[in-house]
Amino acid sequence: MDHALLVAREIIVERDGRRVVDAATLVLEGGARASVTTIAGPSGCGKSTLLRAIATLIPRTHGELLFEGRTLGDVGLTEYRRRVAYVPQLPQMFEGTVAENIRTGPRFRGATLTDAQVLALVERVGLGAELLTRKASDLSGGERLRIALARSLANEPRVLLLDEPTASLDPVAARVILDLLVGVAQGGTALLAVTHSVEHAAHLGGKHHLMTAGVLS
Amino acid sequence: MTYLEIPAWRLSLAALLVVVAIVLSRAASLDLGKDLGIGAIRAAVQLLAVGYALRLLIGADHPVVVLAALALMWAVAAWTSTKRLKHGPPSRVLFPAAFAAIGVGAFVALVPVFVFVIAPRPLLDARYVIPLGGMMLSSAMNVVAQVFERLFASAAAEEATLEQYLALGATPEQALQPHVKAALRAALLPTINGLVTVGLVALPGMMTGQIVSGVAPEQAVRYQIVIMYQLVAVAAVAGFAAAWFARRLLFTEEAQVRSWPR
Repeated sequence: MDHALLVAREIIVERDGRRVVDAATLVLEGGARASVTTIAGPSGCGKSTLLRAIATLIPRTHGELLFEGRTLGDVGLTEYRRRVAYVPQLPQMFEGTVAENIRTGPRFRGATLTDAQVLALVERVGLGAELLTRKASDLSGGERLRIALARSLANEPRVLLLDEPTASLDPVAARVILDLLVGVAQGGTALLAVTHSVEHAAHLGGKHHLMTAGVLS
Repeated sequence: MTYLEIPAWRLSLAALLVVVAIVLSRAASLDLGKDLGIGAIRAAVQLLAVGYALRLLIGADHPVVVLAALALMWAVAAWTSTKRLKHGPPSRVLFPAAFAAIGVGAFVALVPVFVFVIAPRPLLDARYVIPLGGMMLSSAMNVVAQVFERLFASAAAEEATLEQYLALGATPEQALQPHVKAALRAALLPTINGLVTVGLVALPGMMTGQIVSGVAPEQAVRYQIVIMYQLVAVAAVAGFAAAWFARRLLFTEEAQVRSWPR
């Protein structure tokens, strides 16, 4: 039986008695050309909260998450987070070099990436080998975002959740990241991106949603 | 045992030492005269009160009374360790965790020593249980306070990093591990320093007291060695327990970062 890659059903998030996300439902399909879904909306409408709830990083008041037809309990929390990767708007670089940053996720499950695998990942996000030995904290905003992407891709996710991936970038750097993300989706990883830019949402293509006061349409 | 008694009028002479400090503080405009004076009076009143309380405890020589005194000291230690923390949950939330961490540390250090090493008869002899118990509870209190402060402060400062570790598939244990290591090292270092310098830099208070009271120095030294080893166990066990409780307070059941705004 075929299942959708990720289903977020009737997600409700309440904070301080206020409903921030109101019964949002999303379905992401996988496959060779995986789905791209974008959520646009004004600041404070609840789109980032919904994304963090789907990433399981904040409590849901109500709602169900199904990954490949299985519940969170069946998949396991850490396995779900590896498969449904979350990249925040302003990614923090961990202590150490860029290569050490990229190796972080696999290290948590006891795996060690080879040098060739690390190089492949850094090249996949459009950067060169010379960056691998640099201190991650010295990187620019655009480089940080790409290394955060490589860091998530190291876990071989099926879904990438992206919170305003272009918000802190200049137009040229934003275009590079958007092209990169389109390539990631073409490689078989489904994307769910939150953005306040309708133009950037159109660049990514796929299905577009609008969020207003916690309601997804 | 032979020792020289200190009559009250000679005790008051010792207070002149505090006067020296007050005079120096005034001369240097340190504005500490009042604090020194109040501190000296408080210390005298508290110690005199404890002296009378110990006399009653030792006189009563009843295990229930001894245990009640120990429980009171334990509760005060737990409450004190949760005060003055600048980060993390409020005292009312932290208190049970501090109480348990201090308790398990003191328990591990005290019970085997009382059963197998000193082995007083009766086992709950107030003359041994109260001073040694107080030392262990006080040491556990400091370790727990230090571990809590460091872990809650670093978790608050690096909340975003912790969350990204979790997002990459880390368990809460893995996400917090570097902070736990740093906190435990910091908490254990003073004890290790104490171990390597004891007798070289200073003679510990209890050993000094025993020698002054006429106990044979070689026996006083043996007591001190036992105490030093107990302090090591207290620091390690209470420290690990505090870190375990802190982790439970810093993450939800679903492995999400729980923030404690102040």
